[in-house]
Amino acid sequence: MKKYLIITMSCVVLILTACTDQLDRNPIDSLIASTAYQTTSDLERGLNGAVGNYNFNPIIGFNSIFTDNCKLGNDSGGQELNTLNQILNADTGDRGLWGSRYGVINDINRVLLASENITPNPIDLEEVDTYNNVLAQLYAFRALAHYEVLLYYGLNNRDASSLGVPYIDYVSPDATPARNTTGDVLAAIQLDLDAALSLFPDGTNDISFATPDFVTFLRARIALETGNYPAAITYANDLIDSYPLANTAQYFNMFNEDADVTEVVFRYNNVQGFDYGINFIWNFTGQGPFIEVSDELAGLLDESDIRRTVVLDATSDDDAMIYPVGKYPPNADTNAINDFKAMRISEIYLIRAEAYARQSQFGQAAQDVLSVRNARFGSDQGPLGYGSVLEAVQDVIAERRLELAFEGHRYTDIKRVRDITGEGINREPSDCEGSVPCTLPDDSEKFIFPIPTSELNANQIIAAQQAPGY
Amino acid sequence: MKLKLTWLMTLFMAFVMQLSFAQEKTVTGTVTSATDGLPLPGVSVIVKGTTRGVQTDFDGNYSIKASTGETLVFSFVGMKGSEKKIGQSSTLNLAMAEDLAELETVVITGYAGATNSSRVTSAVATVSAESIESVPINSVDQLLQGQAAGVNVSTGSGQPGQSATILIRGRGSLNGDVEPLFIVDGVPVDQDNFRSINQNDIETMSVLKDAAATAVYGNRGAGGVILITTKTGKKGSGVQVKYRNLYGVAKQPKQRFSVMNASQFLTFQRDLLPGDAGQFGDGLSDAAIATIAAQTNTDWTDIFFREGRTISHEMSVTTGGENATSFSSVQYYKQEGITLGSDLKRFSFRNNFNLNSSDNKFNFVTNFTLNYSISDFVVDAVRGTNTGGQLDNPFIVPYIGLPYLSPYNADGSINIWGTGPTAGGGSGAYNADGTINPDTANGFKNTPFIALNTAALNTDQESEVKIIGRIAADYNFAKNLVAGVSVGLDYTNIESLNITTPNSIRGLITPNEGSLDKGSQSEGFYRDARFITNAFIRYDNDITEKINLNAAVFAEYNYQNTQNAGFTALGINPALIGSSNGFTSGNTTEGDDSDIYNYIPSVFSFESELALASVFATLDLDYDTRFGLSASVRRDATSRFVANREGTFWSVSGRWNIDNESFMEGVDWISILKLRASYGKVGNQAVGTNRYQAIQTVSSGSGYQLGNSYTLGGLVDPQIQWETTNQLNLGLSFGFWQSRLTGELDVYNFETVDLFQQDLRSQAGTGVATVNTNVGDMVNKGIDLQLSYDILRKSDSNPWSITLNANANYNKNEVTDIPGDAGFTGTTLRVAEGRSAFTWFLPRWAGVNPANGEPLYYDVDGNITNEYDPNNAVYLDKNFDPTYTGGFGADIRYKGFSLNTLFAFQADRWKQNSSLALIEDAGLGANLNLSTSMLNAWTTPGQITDIPALSYGGLRAVDGDRYLEDASFLRLRNVSLSYNVSQDVLAKTNVFTGIRVFVQGTNLVTWTKFRGFDPEGTTTSTFFEYPVPRTFSLGFDLTF
Repeated sequence: MKKYLIITMSCVVLILTACTDQLDRNPIDSLIASTAYQTTSDLERGLNGAVGNYNFNPIIGFNSIFTDNCKLGNDSGGQELNTLNQILNADTGDRGLWGSRYGVINDINRVLLASENITPNPIDLEEVDTYNNVLAQLYAFRALAHYEVLLYYGLNNRDASSLGVPYIDYVSPDATPARNTTGDVLAAIQLDLDAALSLFPDGTNDISFATPDFVTFLRARIALETGNYPAAITYANDLIDSYPLANTAQYFNMFNEDADVTEVVFRYNNVQGFDYGINFIWNFTGQGPFIEVSDELAGLLDESDIRRTVVLDATSDDDAMIYPVGKYPPNADTNAINDFKAMRISEIYLIRAEAYARQSQFGQAAQDVLSVRNARFGSDQGPLGYGSVLEAVQDVIAERRLELAFEGHRYTDIKRVRDITGEGINREPSDCEGSVPCTLPDDSEKFIFPIPTSELNANQIIAAQQAPGY
Repeated sequence: MKLKLTWLMTLFMAFVMQLSFAQEKTVTGTVTSATDGLPLPGVSVIVKGTTRGVQTDFDGNYSIKASTGETLVFSFVGMKGSEKKIGQSSTLNLAMAEDLAELETVVITGYAGATNSSRVTSAVATVSAESIESVPINSVDQLLQGQAAGVNVSTGSGQPGQSATILIRGRGSLNGDVEPLFIVDGVPVDQDNFRSINQNDIETMSVLKDAAATAVYGNRGAGGVILITTKTGKKGSGVQVKYRNLYGVAKQPKQRFSVMNASQFLTFQRDLLPGDAGQFGDGLSDAAIATIAAQTNTDWTDIFFREGRTISHEMSVTTGGENATSFSSVQYYKQEGITLGSDLKRFSFRNNFNLNSSDNKFNFVTNFTLNYSISDFVVDAVRGTNTGGQLDNPFIVPYIGLPYLSPYNADGSINIWGTGPTAGGGSGAYNADGTINPDTANGFKNTPFIALNTAALNTDQESEVKIIGRIAADYNFAKNLVAGVSVGLDYTNIESLNITTPNSIRGLITPNEGSLDKGSQSEGFYRDARFITNAFIRYDNDITEKINLNAAVFAEYNYQNTQNAGFTALGINPALIGSSNGFTSGNTTEGDDSDIYNYIPSVFSFESELALASVFATLDLDYDTRFGLSASVRRDATSRFVANREGTFWSVSGRWNIDNESFMEGVDWISILKLRASYGKVGNQAVGTNRYQAIQTVSSGSGYQLGNSYTLGGLVDPQIQWETTNQLNLGLSFGFWQSRLTGELDVYNFETVDLFQQDLRSQAGTGVATVNTNVGDMVNKGIDLQLSYDILRKSDSNPWSITLNANANYNKNEVTDIPGDAGFTGTTLRVAEGRSAFTWFLPRWAGVNPANGEPLYYDVDGNITNEYDPNNAVYLDKNFDPTYTGGFGADIRYKGFSLNTLFAFQADRWKQNSSLALIEDAGLGANLNLSTSMLNAWTTPGQITDIPALSYGGLRAVDGDRYLEDASFLRLRNVSLSYNVSQDVLAKTNVFTGIRVFVQGTNLVTWTKFRGFDPEGTTTSTFFEYPVPRTFSLGFDLTF
């Protein structure tokens, strides 16, 4: 009997030894992280992945639907009611902006980490340029991502010592960072932008990616937002010299099949097969709107203003007061593939106008506003003059509302100029029927985004730094 | 070896000869069953005190040499043993009576196979063939509803063949697999796909509920194990041919909500509903409304529900010879769902074959089933990426379909396109000039027609080939030692076909509105193959007179390979639907500048693998049939994990058969009394759908501007491992009054540790919100009770037999530890420490303010407020998983009649009723029909109503717990009445040996407070799911 036992046991052992080798199964459909990045072109793939994850829709959607630019749509099936109802709490409301931006930042940091082990062949100048450009892009987008998080979640962008947001330039499986001070974040952003500028190969001018002008543009925005008005004016001057304002036809084409890029400094290039579908933030296929342009904004758009043609969809119906958002139209192909024109020169004019206005340089402020307005009407809309900072800033913001509608600015604009206007969000009665709120006071906590619950739950340190009021 | 045997045999024969010299004669006779007079084959006839014995033949005849004065002992499983003294006559006939008191059920407990129930130490529930045969439900897992204590079965859809979700003794995992391991004839199979399997082939289903039974399945056993054993022939039973036929009709379930009719709706729009855009009723006079309502007043349920037919033909052949038995069956089955375009057609084939050598030392078994099925699907809420809100979902239409739209064309046929512009009271499919409008044709108002159009013109089909096969052999190679091997396979091949025809409403916008060619065709090729090989040695010996030892060691290897590939092509030639010759080339460009690619096809191909290598051992020790000890240990090594690949799982269990104690001899009323206890550790390796949880991956794909991209494939914890459940079970098996009352009472405490969960990560710090790892603990405590009581037993004097049976489970789930400091995850449906998993956390709705019709809420302290604030959310102490589940029924037999009922229930179970919320949303009244309750909306101060003033618009985003409803239900799951034609009649036919006719009803009545079609479902928030139908069927079985 012993014999049989021995034979069987040996068989069992044999089977098992054979099987143990069978247990090393690696994924067939994806790469192993430790060996994925080997060459410069792998880094390019990493860049495409990181920039591909950069989603502007949360910003475009929130700024419009949360504010006075939108009303409930004719074809509403209940979509977007939370944002329209201005429900902004730690559980819901930020439309995933925090996670989206820190996700991109993590993607970027991982590619940067991988790049440390890859050296381009110094003789192959093209590869060296590619390598440097990838790094420059990564730094530039890391700066943009951090700036946007700071803009929405930072406690006070004009106070360097206030709590900002975590600035992340590392890869970690379990870090629980605290908020850095606003000053620290801004300094780090500038360092990233410096790094980008130093790495851009000569002649970097692809507006679908970061360029030196992208860097200047971002710096102008930051300067305005942080109250550094002279700097805002200086950066604006740089760009205004090199980009003309689009005329009415160019303006129309810019939003129609992305056919004109005269005044575009940076566009997020949505293409067939890789498209964030901006139009569908508000519309069903076929322009059935679940969220529409508010009656108020529709009323502000003059018949002879090209922006009326662009903002209101062609299917708008004045009698029925149906105004689908038309800025990202279905186009001839009906796929509604539209770039996000994230940085346009008209914004720079209005940045400079606001900076002038806040410095009581009313004449220059009015001139900049008028430049934009004239370009949009295709005729001289002057004269224009301001008697006070309040009047000037109000007019600049009103112009921004028309010029930058549905481009992710309205909420942050209202927020930024509260110090002058003392106003929050006010909707017209016809835009806030039913349970939709009509006003949001200027001192509402909702002008600072709450850190999402998921972050608070995972990060005790930042949980103690939640924005006030949440 | 052979030589030795022959020698033994010779000796044995010689000995018999010697003894038989003297006064021997040949005694012959026939053994029959006292119940029905049929001959009993295989009855053992032994001369008492000797080793002489024979078995009765096919006709119940025997012949044995014995002497006058000796006693013949007759014994047969399930019959009362009998002893007869041989007198002068050499003929001895016997009618054997059924032995109800002593009838010991045989329980299938896993690798040990059939075991007498008295020797079982674990918590096992057995469901026999009788209770599931011929029930027109096409997924064997669904059939378990209400059948066994602690087995909670929920079905997500009424689609024929839909697999159920089974929780055994509560939810044992939060993010890992919660369902049991299914094993069909020794082959582990896909737990979510049974649509191709013929349930009439099943002999028994055993539900293994505690570690004593499941630890031997190691890291796959934590959710319980369900063993399915298919039929086989009985030795010596001859050839039996059976034909079965079933015809059934499925009908819509009861509707527990009401929507407005045309007159109500149009008047409501005009008089009550604020707003002006697109409300057809607004401009109409009373007379106009009356005219419209008189012409058209559509109840869309009439259009969308149909009577679905079920047809089944089945032929089976059972054979039983001396050394070989077999069971073969073929079945054709067709079942239509209760809506157009939903059905299942199936052809199944089975052959089971058992063979043993004449000395019984060698056994050989094959089980083989080959099945082919075709399923047609509608836009089912639980299918694929659907949410239920799709306008082509047929089950959304009875809720929102506008009543003033006629479903018919002028010629009386069903309209599958819709009508004219919405402004004129049409559905929007056509412009005023009669051309089709692709946008509004796909709009809300056209919903009924979109659904009809999709059902009529488009295809969503899966064809499946399913093979389950196993070959096993064992050999009793030495005294007390058996060695065996087996090889098994579960093979599933699914080809899916999805066609949006160019000439359908959805086709108008596929690939997009502007493309010149329309429509799409997708095909998928899915193949899943699971292999298992197993080898064992078993030692079984009566070591002393009182001690029996049974021990076995096993080695096993499982391998699973899954491949999935497919394509989607766009722009279909309407004349060549289904063929790639009709696809528009991907290179085709359109648009003014010929730069738009509308027809780029997409393709995919994926593959993944799993391997599991294991060794395990079992030990069963019996002492004097009074005490038993069982133990098992299994070491599993899995490819799923890397750093923690190997795990050891074990169990120890014992029993005390009190009824076999000498001090119980005088206690007549107790026939069975057994105490059981078990403790063990079982695992769950099925954590997440990704099979490479421990490997940090980088995903390759298309990124920005469609460039090739790399992104992180989700952050992983390389230390990830299986979940472990420590299971304690105490049980009592009892049978009183000759086992008139029998039952099992079990209490259990299952603690899941190393719970597979998304451990929280700082998104800022790591870029991800969660990482899958083992954190957290959860406990399921509960009681299982299974009872059966024979009120009346059939006997010579009593033709009635009435048995009542009931089972129930109480399960208390408590999450004891979860990751993060908050003590919970989730928002409105939470997993929170100290509470049941998936407990509702919502602001409380307080009704309507009679003064002004505004919605009111409670704040956290219970004070009424008119402001909706998510911060007022509280734990409602209402959980999604039911606390109580079970079933009960009766089995009544009179002569040839048999009436069987089964009720099933789930209680203390809460779901969001989002379907109802939609039709009580005033914001949608311009486009969709609404609930009749909306007619009670607040209008005048002082009015008491539960519908707020309509001026508050849509409140679905701020409705708190308004639609959180009690989804408890009691359901008459199955009732069947059958008649077996009596043997006397059959004898006269000379053809049949059995005829059974039956009528049956399934899901006939459901009692529930839930307002919808069906409270069951598997989603936490119901949104227009395909309800489970009511089915009526009749059929007959003919046995030759």
